[in-house]
Amino acid sequence: MNYLPLQIIIGIFVLLVVFRLSKKFKEGGLKTSEFIGWLLIWIIALVAFWLPQSTSYLAGLFGIGRGVDLALYLAVLTLFYLIFRLYLKLDKQQKDLTKIVRHISLKDEDNRDN
Amino acid sequence: MNNQLTIIIPCFNEQETIAQVINGVKDFGRVAVVDDGSTDQSFERAQATGVKVLRHLINRGQGAALETGDRWALENGAETVVHFDSDGQHQAEEIPKLIEPIIKGEAEIVFGSRFLNKNHKMPWLKKWLILKPAVKFQNLLLGTNLSDTHNGFRAVSRRALEKIKITQDGMAHASEIVEQAVKANLKYVEVPVKIVYNDFGQGFGSGLKILRDLIFGKFNK
Repeated sequence: MNYLPLQIIIGIFVLLVVFRLSKKFKEGGLKTSEFIGWLLIWIIALVAFWLPQSTSYLAGLFGIGRGVDLALYLAVLTLFYLIFRLYLKLDKQQKDLTKIVRHISLKDEDNRDN
Repeated sequence: MNNQLTIIIPCFNEQETIAQVINGVKDFGRVAVVDDGSTDQSFERAQATGVKVLRHLINRGQGAALETGDRWALENGAETVVHFDSDGQHQAEEIPKLIEPIIKGEAEIVFGSRFLNKNHKMPWLKKWLILKPAVKFQNLLLGTNLSDTHNGFRAVSRRALEKIKITQDGMAHASEIVEQAVKANLKYVEVPVKIVYNDFGQGFGSGLKILRDLIFGKFNK
């Protein structure tokens, strides 16, 4: 089976993402650790698509039959983790929002009294 | 008017009942309505009764509204606070009975209980499928021995209010109050109350939501 078209598409996609990432990093929108983290993730994706055998090798180390399976497991785990983080962040923002609304509500009331 | 007793009524889109509820309780103490971002005429109708009305710019949930009311009450010299629903479920004439243990110095928090009242009628499906398991779960989790949960009719002393801070914006605040009371070693009692049911009670779905809020609430501290 010929994976070349897929590999090229993914390659272009990753290049675009990395380009945007480095632009954002230069503008100061990303911390160095964040930049490196994201860069690594996308480079790993690129390697996984261009050298599929490498994932099989890694999978073997973990006792998983196919490289694709390992990639899938990791992807699901990462997604769960990210969703969890997102949930916590959202929850915190909701609480902050309540604080602001409460503050305004109590302040408005003071003003009405005066 | 008795400023030391402050009755806090959180209100979200209750324009049909709010004025009647306020007029029913205002003889018992100072009333503070917290309009939780209602989109109907609740705020205007509450204001028309002449009581104090605080307003949330956007809807933040009953727990959030109660906490706003609590903070206001503390800042304005309340000695005892009563939480009262805006939908007409609670009976105003039961307020003196509810605050009695606090005034006598027997407790810092008084929870209204539907189950202590033997003659109390409630839909049995709701009772056995939702309320009873919720109470059991709460007792198990907190080591309490309460007969009821999530019935928003309660009285809190100033001393207790200074220690309790509601962070659960949604309906999970009821469990949170119990939890904080236990942690702060505040003395609590239950008093039988009568709840009049309307169609807007909480179903099984919102019970699950409360559970979720309680669990996730643990992570963000």
